[in-house]
Amino acid sequence: MAKYEKAKAIEKENIVVDGIDVSGHWNRMFEQRTIFEYTPELIEKIADIPGGESFANCYQCAKCVAVCPVDVVGNYGPRKLYRYAQTGMDLTEAPELWLCTTCANCLRVCPKEVNMVKIMPAAREQAILDGKFVPPELQQAFENTAKSGNPLGQPQRKRDAWIQNAGVPVPIIKDLSRPVDVLWYVGSYPSYHPRGIDAASAAARIFTALGIDFAILGKEEKDDADSQRLAGEKGLFEMMTEYNIATFNKYEWKEMVVTGPHELNAFKNVYPKYGFERPVVHYTTFLARHLDQLKPLLKHPVNKKITYHDPCYLGRHNGEYEAPRKLLQAIPGVELVEMGRNRENGYCCGGGGGGMWMDSFTAKHTTMRLSEKRAMEAASTGADVLAVACPFEVSRFEDAVKSTGNEHVGVLDILELLDKSMRGE
Amino acid sequence: MSSNKVLVIGGGPAGLEAARSAAELGGEVILLEKRERLGGTPDRENYAKLTHHWRDASEAMAELAASVTNHPRVQVKYQAEVKGMSGSAGNFEVQIEAGGVAESLNVGSIIIATGFQHFDPGRATQYYNYYSFPDVITLTDLEKMLKEHNVVRPSNGQPPKKIAFIQCVGSRDRQIGNEYCSKVCCGIASKQAIELREQLPDSKVMIFYIDMRMYGYWENEIYWKAQEQHKVNYVKGVISEVLKKGDQLLIRGEDTTMSRPMEVTMDMVVLSVGMEPSAGTRAIAQLLGVKQNKYGFIEAGGEGGLDTVATSVPGIFVAGAAAGPADLNDSISSAGLAAARAMALVRA
Repeated sequence: MAKYEKAKAIEKENIVVDGIDVSGHWNRMFEQRTIFEYTPELIEKIADIPGGESFANCYQCAKCVAVCPVDVVGNYGPRKLYRYAQTGMDLTEAPELWLCTTCANCLRVCPKEVNMVKIMPAAREQAILDGKFVPPELQQAFENTAKSGNPLGQPQRKRDAWIQNAGVPVPIIKDLSRPVDVLWYVGSYPSYHPRGIDAASAAARIFTALGIDFAILGKEEKDDADSQRLAGEKGLFEMMTEYNIATFNKYEWKEMVVTGPHELNAFKNVYPKYGFERPVVHYTTFLARHLDQLKPLLKHPVNKKITYHDPCYLGRHNGEYEAPRKLLQAIPGVELVEMGRNRENGYCCGGGGGGMWMDSFTAKHTTMRLSEKRAMEAASTGADVLAVACPFEVSRFEDAVKSTGNEHVGVLDILELLDKSMRGE
Repeated sequence: MSSNKVLVIGGGPAGLEAARSAAELGGEVILLEKRERLGGTPDRENYAKLTHHWRDASEAMAELAASVTNHPRVQVKYQAEVKGMSGSAGNFEVQIEAGGVAESLNVGSIIIATGFQHFDPGRATQYYNYYSFPDVITLTDLEKMLKEHNVVRPSNGQPPKKIAFIQCVGSRDRQIGNEYCSKVCCGIASKQAIELREQLPDSKVMIFYIDMRMYGYWENEIYWKAQEQHKVNYVKGVISEVLKKGDQLLIRGEDTTMSRPMEVTMDMVVLSVGMEPSAGTRAIAQLLGVKQNKYGFIEAGGEGGLDTVATSVPGIFVAGAAAGPADLNDSISSAGLAAARAMALVRA
């Protein structure tokens, strides 16, 4: 990135050239700052990719930069990408290509509707097709998804292992051999990640207590791959989509409930393009609908100050801001406090658009993780608990509260908080 | 003896519209034109397309002229000049010379529509070298090339591959004396940039600016269109100097949003020259004794500022760019109002 930054003095402490010691300021040089050529063709290169068209429309108002979560912890922002391209940067070869989390906050404020949520996946796909650099950890997540059906690389046969310890029976739709009201798509992290399993188990107990007629796909469930799509692997996404739609259509069910906002986005907004158009809701929306039955079950007070982090793909991408808050406020004893950036302007955890699998790469280009910035914001509200509603977030924020010295802030999925209130500690 | 006649001075867009409107309102109109033909600056300076509806300028001006020359209540005098004036509102005695013949006209009101002239880039404080380098041209020079579909570098007759527009030449400059924004140059440069990209699809076209001032619908109809459909590139940071580099031009400035110096070669540089009061406007103001503002334009607005076509002399009105920078829409609108005001006076 140095090429696009201010002039830096380069001075080696010890250097010998042709046997002559030129240590010290004798060897001081400055990086070239002058722009010798404009390269509109590098803007066109991105705008010519299907999906990338709006990249050429930026008129440099810079509204996007202040709301870009990456710029808050680094030097980034959609309008800068336009200028970098105009002054010599091929986005498909630049580290900037991989920093966007597709959080859509820039699009929310963009007067020209420059849509990074479409541009970035298109440019990334081009980079992958052209054999350009792809962060190895992301490459690993792609390979895991292709091989194992989930980005964690866990075996498919263990996908429903978590139900053994859920505390309630979790029916598998294949074994039921009858129609159900609710097909619960659990998701990869709730199926495999220890903290995800906590949330999945809580959900199973809540659904059971509410008397919901539900079932899961069990070993037949595979990752939605929406984040892989946004990270540029459209081919992989389409492969998974084909499998998932066929699997969903094998069974009779009325409504699908998903644990994760990314799955919601895939099944509700993207799958229709592939012929799947059936009702899909996020669990917060679903439970908020059952609030009257749920409230009497929330017997035990949770005497905590709680702040809620809006997941980008539940909030900005799908417009659900109220259901999570209604659920939290239904818990006796909870005091809900808001962070400065909330709802439409919620800050990103850094996990979207493939960011979940690029933390090491992103760390090289930012001053701190987005999740750390957000953990600090949560802590500054005085909250005891940072409540989340996306399976990517629990692990991200748990790491972040620790690394920023805010261990006193607990990170819990709303499902876990509801379950606590239902069952007591 | 009061007169019910209206005298319009100037046969450009504003004068033509003022004459047409006054005649349609029932007035007897005398239109004075200095040249042998009507159409004003758009005609004289070979405008290609107009920003409004992308119309052919000659065609649009011919239509406007025809509506005047075909009108039974408009008398057009060519090669005409005002030599003196006496009297007051309702009863002016104006001495003119038309086609070398002196005569005296008795009119009730006068509309000045003597327009503007393009800024002479030789007066720029920056080293743009308009008079030294053939490939440094102005908006008006380019307009002529576009009209002829023959955009070439004057130095070698070859089509340019890289073209830069430099905005605000002669405008917004205290040292030059033109502190005002000329209003139209951002739109005209963008319009020409679109035409360049249409006529020379392989060319790179860049516009270097201080602020892009694309007011009203020019924003979406010209600026956005230029950038989004025609891939014109805009860079914030105006050029400070144009130097020679081999057989090309080297433009030097600062790319402000990158905070980096720039030194880029171009095949052709187009200076977006602004507007100044025309020689005719300056002369007529003196002759008729109407107040000019510090830039030489005719001061309009009346005491309250909202009487936008009133001059300092009752009965004398001003239309179009004689009162300050104006695009065609502005000029034609103010001409209609000046006609209405002039007619109200002669009918009273």
